[in-house]
Amino acid sequence: MRVIANHALCQGHARCEDLCPEVFATDAVEGKVVIVQEEVPAALEDKVRLAVRNCPEGALRVAKSGPAEGAA
Amino acid sequence: MTLLFQPSPPDHVPPERMVDFDMFHIPEGVSDPAEIWHDLVRRGVPDIFYTPHNGGHWVFLRYEDIVEAYRDHSVFSTYQTPVPPIEPFPVVQPQGVDPPAHNVFRRLLAPMFTPTAVRGMMGELERRAAVLIDGFAERGACDFITDFAERYPTGTFLYLFGLPEERLDAFLALANTFFRSTDPAARAQNIGEIYAVLDQLFREKKRNPGNDIATQIVMARDENGAQHPWEDILNCGFLLFVAGLDTVTNTMAYIWRYLATTPAAQKHFRDRLDDPDGFLRGIEELMRINAVSNLFRRVTHDCEYRGVQFRRNDRVVLPNTVANRDPRVFKAPQVIDLDREVNVHLTFGVGPHRCIGSVLAKREVMVSLQQWLRRIPEFKLADEQPAGSVFGGSVMGFTALRLQWEVAAKRAAA
Repeated sequence: MRVIANHALCQGHARCEDLCPEVFATDAVEGKVVIVQEEVPAALEDKVRLAVRNCPEGALRVAKSGPAEGAA
Repeated sequence: MTLLFQPSPPDHVPPERMVDFDMFHIPEGVSDPAEIWHDLVRRGVPDIFYTPHNGGHWVFLRYEDIVEAYRDHSVFSTYQTPVPPIEPFPVVQPQGVDPPAHNVFRRLLAPMFTPTAVRGMMGELERRAAVLIDGFAERGACDFITDFAERYPTGTFLYLFGLPEERLDAFLALANTFFRSTDPAARAQNIGEIYAVLDQLFREKKRNPGNDIATQIVMARDENGAQHPWEDILNCGFLLFVAGLDTVTNTMAYIWRYLATTPAAQKHFRDRLDDPDGFLRGIEELMRINAVSNLFRRVTHDCEYRGVQFRRNDRVVLPNTVANRDPRVFKAPQVIDLDREVNVHLTFGVGPHRCIGSVLAKREVMVSLQQWLRRIPEFKLADEQPAGSVFGGSVMGFTALRLQWEVAAKRAAA
């Protein structure tokens, strides 16, 4: 599983970082989300899904592992 | 003086959307000011309605519409929004400015309130909470507002702005006049006093820079390498002064009032003193249920939204407390579930003006409750509460909240 952030939507609530700091952090300039590891370890998948569902901006989504969409 | 932002008479409002509602008036006998909002939903008033009170304004009741108003600044502006309408109104930075201009101060402040920045404040936040609570723990009673809830965020402001503790009472007096006075002359003088204090503070920080937010604001440079306009610097200081005090005070008041009447909830948090994730999940739920802010927007041009006609300068009020109990978004919205897993509450707003201090505010509440529970046994509301201690408006809350608890016998005898 991969997790993808939309920086145009992120407003820096940092709910994701509270819920899964192993995967989400906040940058020090704009205060927006930084994905620490895009490829989510199996043990963290539930926490990441919960973080995605708790984003008040709908700025996060998960996708299947593999090459980034639109890369082709 | 030419007035530019006055709402027009409501002849564009259809009679079925007209509701008699005064957001500042809490009827006698109502002990929770948020109930006047939830009562509207129970009565089944239209989810977009207009009230002629306080200069006339719309109210949105649906989560989805409140989100839309927060996000779409091309229609719902934060520039010149007061209800009732006052002109000219101070343009606070960055809250009172629409994107993209608002990004200048938003970016300036953003690094100061990230989770990483707030982690660096935790030791001081804990120490300050402990000192205040130790001051009354053995008394077995306190007025939670005057003994803690207003002193704590004001002290946090002093700390963040690099100001000495001796200024606390002077700042409390300034804040209390600002938030509670209804006398226009006293209010005008008070705003002048706050700006004078900020002017002096920023001048001092420019001469003697410190490791604090005031210094960072005054020393920041714009894209041309110049200091930001002095007026904007003062307006930014003013925002941080007014935005982080009353909101935190009354959120805490709501939460402690709930805990005082709900021993099982006290136990829930006491059992999680060593489980920060579980503790925070509970805090997040109390944030959802106790949303004290009702925010204002101003319509930028004549338009139609969801089939309703709006006119330029119409005011719109967004009650977060109603959005946070919208059954279309929250499962069992009226139930306080301290283990609620999905909780996209709007207590801090969404969109470009999302409360920049939301992470700090939550930590202030969390640390305060942790320090409290480590020092004070099960507590309850005192039998006597002063009459008329609730208020409504853009921030809802309490002017008094008397709490009491048992003091250990050997200590009491000593």
